Amino acid sequence: MTDWLIVLTIGLPWLGALAVWLTGDDRPDQQHRLAVIFSVLAGITALLLIPSTSDSVALRIDVGSVFGDFTFVPDGLGVFLAAVATVVGCLAVVFAVDYMDGEKQLGRFYSFVLLFIGAMVGLVLTGSILLLFIFWEITALTSYALISFHNDDPKAVAGGIKALVMTSFGGVGMLIGGLIVYAYLGDYQISTLLSRADELPSGVLAALAFGFLIAAAAKSAQVPFHTWLPGAMEAPTPVSALIHAATMVNGGVYVLARFYPAFEGVNGWTTAVTVVGLVSALMAALMALVATDLKRVLAYSTVSQLGYMVYAIGVGDIFASQFHLLSHAVFKALLFLSAGAVIHSVGTRDMREMGGLGKQMPFVRNVFVVGSLALAGLPILNGFWSKELILEGGLHDGPVWAYIGMVIGAGITALYTFRMVWLVFYSEPRAKLHVHPAGQMMRLSTGILAAGTATTWLLIGLFGELLEDTLPFHHLHVEAGTTLLGDVLTAPATYLALGVVALGLLAWWFRDLLSGVAASLRPIGDAAAADFGFEWLNRRVALWVTTAGESLRTFQTGSVNWNVAGIVGALIVVLVILALGA
Amino acid sequence: MADMTAFTWMIALPLLAAPVIYLIGRLVRPDGEALTRWAALVMLGLTWIPFAIAASDLNADGVQTYTLGTASLRLDDLGLLLAALSLGLGTIVVFYSGPYMAADDGQEKYYASLVAMVGVMMGLGCAADLFNLWVWFEAMAIASYLLVAFYHEQPTSLEAGVKYLVQSAVGSVFVLLGIALVLSQTGTLDLTEIRAAAPESSIPLLAAGGLFLIGFGVKAALVPMHTWLPDAHSQAPSGISAMLSGVVIEAGLVALLRVLSALVGIGASWGELLMVFGAFNMLIGNLMALRQTQVKRLLAYSSLSHVGYMLLGLGIAFYAQQAAGAEGGFFHMLTHGMMKGLAFLAAGALLYALHASMGDHGPLTISDLSGAAQKYPWAALGLSVAVLGLAGLPPLAGFMSKWQIFVAGFETKNEWIEALVVFAALNSVLSLAYYAPLVNALYRQKPSDAVLAGGPLPSLMNVPLAVLGVAIVAVGVWPSLLDWLSGPAGRALIASFGF
Repeated sequence: MTDWLIVLTIGLPWLGALAVWLTGDDRPDQQHRLAVIFSVLAGITALLLIPSTSDSVALRIDVGSVFGDFTFVPDGLGVFLAAVATVVGCLAVVFAVDYMDGEKQLGRFYSFVLLFIGAMVGLVLTGSILLLFIFWEITALTSYALISFHNDDPKAVAGGIKALVMTSFGGVGMLIGGLIVYAYLGDYQISTLLSRADELPSGVLAALAFGFLIAAAAKSAQVPFHTWLPGAMEAPTPVSALIHAATMVNGGVYVLARFYPAFEGVNGWTTAVTVVGLVSALMAALMALVATDLKRVLAYSTVSQLGYMVYAIGVGDIFASQFHLLSHAVFKALLFLSAGAVIHSVGTRDMREMGGLGKQMPFVRNVFVVGSLALAGLPILNGFWSKELILEGGLHDGPVWAYIGMVIGAGITALYTFRMVWLVFYSEPRAKLHVHPAGQMMRLSTGILAAGTATTWLLIGLFGELLEDTLPFHHLHVEAGTTLLGDVLTAPATYLALGVVALGLLAWWFRDLLSGVAASLRPIGDAAAADFGFEWLNRRVALWVTTAGESLRTFQTGSVNWNVAGIVGALIVVLVILALGA
Repeated sequence: MADMTAFTWMIALPLLAAPVIYLIGRLVRPDGEALTRWAALVMLGLTWIPFAIAASDLNADGVQTYTLGTASLRLDDLGLLLAALSLGLGTIVVFYSGPYMAADDGQEKYYASLVAMVGVMMGLGCAADLFNLWVWFEAMAIASYLLVAFYHEQPTSLEAGVKYLVQSAVGSVFVLLGIALVLSQTGTLDLTEIRAAAPESSIPLLAAGGLFLIGFGVKAALVPMHTWLPDAHSQAPSGISAMLSGVVIEAGLVALLRVLSALVGIGASWGELLMVFGAFNMLIGNLMALRQTQVKRLLAYSSLSHVGYMLLGLGIAFYAQQAAGAEGGFFHMLTHGMMKGLAFLAAGALLYALHASMGDHGPLTISDLSGAAQKYPWAALGLSVAVLGLAGLPPLAGFMSKWQIFVAGFETKNEWIEALVVFAALNSVLSLAYYAPLVNALYRQKPSDAVLAGGPLPSLMNVPLAVLGVAIVAVGVWPSLLDWLSGPAGRALIASFGF
C-alpha cells in the first residue's frame, strides 16, 4: 500500500507531464485541465501517505552493478516535505491557469513543472544517496528549463544557465558524498551512513560533511552561492513560488537536517553551518532592504529565511528548522503568488512604479499582508511560531554572537517587509498603471495559502510526533504541541524578538525622522545593492573560464606542421616521463 | 586451415560485401546508386546473425580463436564490445544515410567504405598479434579517409582529409617503430607471448610503449595529438561524424589497450599516464567546446572530453588492477557511442534540413538552431536528449556510465585519484555551460532565418534518432542493460594483464 502511494506520488505528476506534452500546444484548455488534475491527484496521494509514515524501507528496487538498491523510506521528514511539494505544487499549477493563460508553449511549462513536482517528492522520500543525487539533478534541470522558459529573453537564458551551473557545481559535493559512502561502507543507503559514520576515517568523513554543506548551500542559495537565486526570478512567477521559494531551495536545508546525525561530530562542521546561515540571513536581509524589483526582494528574503533554517541546524535544532521550512513554504508561496497577481496585473516588477495598488486590488492586498505579517514574524501567523522556536533554540544551544545576529536579522526582516508592502499597496500611485483584477484561480490558490499561513502552526504537535517517531538516528525529543506553543508564549526571547520586530516597524514608520541615520548607513546600502561583491566574483570566474577557452584556440592553429609538432612533442614528453619513471 | 567460425563470418561478411556494394553502384543501371544503400543495409543486417552466434559461443565456450597460417584472430569480450559498438552504430548510420545521402553523387563509394570500415573495426578488435593489429588499424584509417573527404569538391573537406591522413600517418610510423622494438626485444608479435617474454624492466620496451601510446593516441584523439579531429568530425558527412566519434576513436583506444596490456609487466606507470592524458582531454575538450559557434565542431571537442572520461576509467583499471574502472570506461564507451551518435545524427538532420538540402555546404551554427524545435520537433528532442546525456544529467545513460567510472576511482581510496574524480565531475558541470545553451536555442520561440527557410526533413531520418534516444533513456533508467557487454569486457582487459 505505502509502496504504491510512493510510486503514485512520484509517478502521477510524471504521467501528467507526459500527458500535457502529448496533448500539444494547440489545445491549451486541455493542457491546463490535465496539469491541474494530475497535480491535485499527486497532492492527495501525498497527504494519504501521512498516516503510513514509518522508518523502514517501503519500496526497494535492485538496480544492480555499482548502482545499489534504490530505496524509498516514508519517514516523517520525507512525507511532510512531499506533502508540501505536492500541495504547494498543485496550488501553483492552479494559479498558473490564470497566470499563464495565453502564453505560447504551455506544454513545455506544465511538463517541466509536473516533472519537478515528481522529482521533488522523490528527492525527499528516497533512502539512497545515489537516487537522492539523481533527483537533486533532475530538480536542477527542471529549474533551469523553467527559469529560461521565456528563452528569447537573454536575461532569462543567462539566469537559467547560472542557476544550473551553480547548483550543479554544488551537486558535486553530494556526488562525492555518495561515492565515499559506497566506496567505504559498501552501499548507498542513508541509514548505512547514519548508523556507521564513525567507521569512516575522520578526514574522509570531514570531506563528506563539507561536501554536503557545499551542495546544500548551492541548492538553498546560501552564501557564497546565493547569486543564482535573484537571477532565477526571470522564471514565470508560479515557478518562483513553487521551485524558488517553497520547495527546491529547501532541498539543501532538508539534506543538512537529514544527514545531521552523521556530521554533527565533525570538527567545525556545526560552526560552519551556523555561520553560513547567519551570514546568509543577515546579508540577504540587507539586500532585500535596498532592492527595487518586487520579485528580487522576495528572492533575497527567501535566502535570508533559508539562512534561519540553516542556522537552526547549525545549533542542532532540527525540529525548529524543519518547522520553519513548513511555515516558510506556505507563506512565501503566498507572497510570491500574490506578487505574481500584482505583476500580472500591472505589467511591471519595479516597486518604484507601483504604489496605492491596495485600493484597486483589495483581495490581493489582503492575502499579501497576511503573508507579510508571517514573514515579519508577527503573532499569531505560522511564521511567528517557527521563527520564535528557532531563536529560542539558538539562544539555548548556540553561540550568543550568532543569536544576536539573528535577532537583528529579524528586525531587518520586519523593516524590508513593511517597506515592500508600503511601496506596492499603500502610499500614492507613482506611475499610471492599468490594473486588471486578479482571476478566479489566482484568488482560489492565494486564498488557500493565506488560510494555511494562519493555521499551519496548529500542526506543530503532529509534525513533532512524526519526526520523533520515524527518525531513529536523530534522537529528537520534541515536546507536545501545546507545551511548545506555551513555551514560545512565555519565553523572554519571544518578547525580545518581538521588540526588535517592532523596532523594525517603527524604523519604517519614522523613516523620515531617521533620514540622518539612513544617510550614515549609505555605504552598507550601496554594498548590499552591489550584492556585497559576490556578483562581481561570479562574473570574474565566468570570465576567467571563457577567456581560458578563448585563448586555448590559438593552439588549434589549423596548420599541419604545428599539429605534427604537437604529436612529436607529446612523444618526447612521454618518453622523458617513462625514462625518469623507469 | 581451420573452419570458419561465427565470429570470422561476422568480420568477413562486411568485408566481402564492400566490393559487391561498390560494383552494384557502378554496374547496375539506372538505379545502382539507390540500390547500394539497400545492399549495405541488408549486408549489415545479415552480419548480426554471425554476431549473435559468436556472442553466444563466446559466452558458452570462452575465447574464440581462428588461425590462418601464422596469423590468428581471437574474439574475446573486449573484441565483442567493439564489434557490438561498430555494428550497432554502423547499422543505424547506414539506415540514416539513406535519406541523408540520397541526393549525393558517389554513394557506392560511401556505402562500400562504410561497410568495409565496420568489418575492419570488428577485425581490429579480434587481432591477436601486433602485426595483425597494425594492418587492421591501417585498413580502418584508409576506409575512414575516404569517408572524411567524401565531399571532395569542398576545399574544407579536403583540408580535413589531408590533416587526418598526415597526422594518422605520423602515428602509424610511431606504432610501426614500436612494433619493431617489441619484436627485437621479445622475438614475438603475439600479444600473449609478448607478455610472457617481456623482461621486468627494459628500456626499449618502455620506449615501444611510449611510441604506442602516442601512435594509437593520435587516432584515439588524446590531447595534444587531437588536432585533426575537430576538422575531420565537422567536415565529414554527419553519419560519418557519428561513426568517427562513436566508434573510430574508440577503436584506436582499444588498439592502445591491447598493446599496453601486453606491456603491463614491464613496470611502467601506464595507468598514471592514461589518467593524466584523461585529465588533459577532459579539460581541453571542454574549454575548447565552450567558445564554439558551430554545432558539429562543438560536438567534436566534446568527444575529446569524453575520451578523457574513458581514459580515466581505464587508467584506474591499469593503476589498481581492478575491473571496476575498465567496466566503467567500457560502459562509457558504449553510452558515448549512443549519445554522440545521436548528437551527430540529430545535428546532421538539422544540417540537412537547414543547409544541405538547400544545396549549401555551410556549417550549422548555434544561432541557426533558434526555434528549430517548432519545425523539427523530433530532431530537436533527439539533440537535446543527446547533449543532456553527454553532460551527465540523470536519468540519462551518460550519468550512469560516468558514475561507474567515478565509483571505481573512489574504490581505489587513493586521494589523488579521488581528486581526479572530483576534477572530472567539475568538468561535467563545465560542460553544461555549452550544452545547455544549445538546448535552449532549439526551444526558442522566435525562429532563426535558417529555420524559416529550412526544407522538410524526411520522416525516415527520425527513426534512427528515436532508436538511439529511447536507448539512452532506457540505459539511464536501467543501467545494467548493457552490463553483459561492458562487464565481461572490463574483466577481459584485466585478465589480459596476466596477473
